[in-house]
Amino acid sequence: MSYFVTWLALMVLLALTTASSYFPMGAWNTVANMGISCAKAVLIALFFMHLRGAAALLRIAAITGLLWLALLFGLSWTDLGTRTSAPAPIDARR
Amino acid sequence: MTTLERRDTVVLGMWAFLATEVLFFGPLFFGYVHGRAYQPEAFAAASHHMHIVLGTLNTAILLTSSFTMALGVRAAQTGRSARPWLTLTALLGLAFLGVKAHEYASEWSEAASATGGEARFYFLYYASTGLHALHLAVGIALVGWLAWRVRRPVPIEVTGLYWHFIDVVWVFLYPMFYLLERYR
Repeated sequence: MSYFVTWLALMVLLALTTASSYFPMGAWNTVANMGISCAKAVLIALFFMHLRGAAALLRIAAITGLLWLALLFGLSWTDLGTRTSAPAPIDARR
Repeated sequence: MTTLERRDTVVLGMWAFLATEVLFFGPLFFGYVHGRAYQPEAFAAASHHMHIVLGTLNTAILLTSSFTMALGVRAAQTGRSARPWLTLTALLGLAFLGVKAHEYASEWSEAASATGGEARFYFLYYASTGLHALHLAVGIALVGWLAWRVRRPVPIEVTGLYWHFIDVVWVFLYPMFYLLERYR
């Protein structure tokens, strides 16, 4: 039963995310899309992947990849955001 | 303190593998974020060439396949046959790949002639969805094999985790590539 409810919620969220992208909301379109995607991912992880009520060790392991991804995003963005771009002449022509 | 049961170590191993998979897909996501930040107009323009009906249909297919996979895992854990659910899951996976192949074929000429930021969008699109499709193909093979050969619940459970992970990746790829500024 709870699997069916999860599936139903996922379908509603899919309809929401698709519909929301037809309303002009500027940057909020992206916020809505990513927020809904995160909600779907959490539903799948908690119910289909049984993280709800899982041992702490499993939940830590599940979050590890995301933690590293966040670190690498942060470091990469720090690098790109603080560098001045000095394109070679051949690139500047493009 | 309790020691881990054998089932727990197998499941933990799968979660550790999935953590590495997150980082495997990570650079593509980062490349996308960078492209969206620096070439937003080109990304929005290229996104309008995506086939939204097929993309949405495929998202529904994959979400449903996760549902049937979860039912298959529960069937195996409660001593019933998981075969019908696993077969259905694999078929839904094949349907997804079929739709995707059709999309690839119909977008190809447009993608090949794209330039600048649009070319970058298409590169990321093909690389991300291609890597995703490759994972799904492996998943379909595994689930198909389980459906016909395996009755023990643990292999079915960990393959289920892998399948749901592929679903989660697509949940993010769908709005990233299909839903940019659709209101225009």
